[in-house]
Amino acid sequence: GVHDAYHDFRHVIGMPCH
Amino acid sequence: MRPQWLSWKNRIFLSFLAGIVWGWVAIGVNIISGAFLFENYMLHNIVTFTIGGAIFGIVVGALLSLSHEWLPFKNIFLKTVFLSVILWGVLMIGGIVLSSIEPERYHIVVPQTVQGFVLAIIMGGLLGSLLKVSRKHN
Repeated sequence: GVHDAYHDFRHVIGMPCH
Repeated sequence: MRPQWLSWKNRIFLSFLAGIVWGWVAIGVNIISGAFLFENYMLHNIVTFTIGGAIFGIVVGALLSLSHEWLPFKNIFLKTVFLSVILWGVLMIGGIVLSSIEPERYHIVVPQTVQGFVLAIIMGGLLGSLLKVSRKHN
């Protein structure tokens, strides 16, 4: 749930994500 | 320049405010840059970016209060930008470690990384500007 909720935020601030 | 003209409550509030504004700015910057195509609804992102930005802002504000005497800059603006970039860099190092463990899953996207670095500078600029403006009104 947390992963999905902040998925976009992490991408936008440049953190590696899948 | 030291942020001691403000009470600690005001500094927390300004850090919180700068972080929230930064979260919204991040949405705007990403819309303009197109570095990442949003996957969630805009209302959802406004909430998560507000919370995420507020946390980032408060941490930068707290770091400033802890380290302002030891930083090699006199200008409050440079101090906040420096600390914001350092915090972003620490998080990025964690991401790079994860990426090295499983690159297929946690891959670095260069445009997003550049955008994140620029946003970190903007975060520092926002907080530094708010502190400077507050000083003029005190």
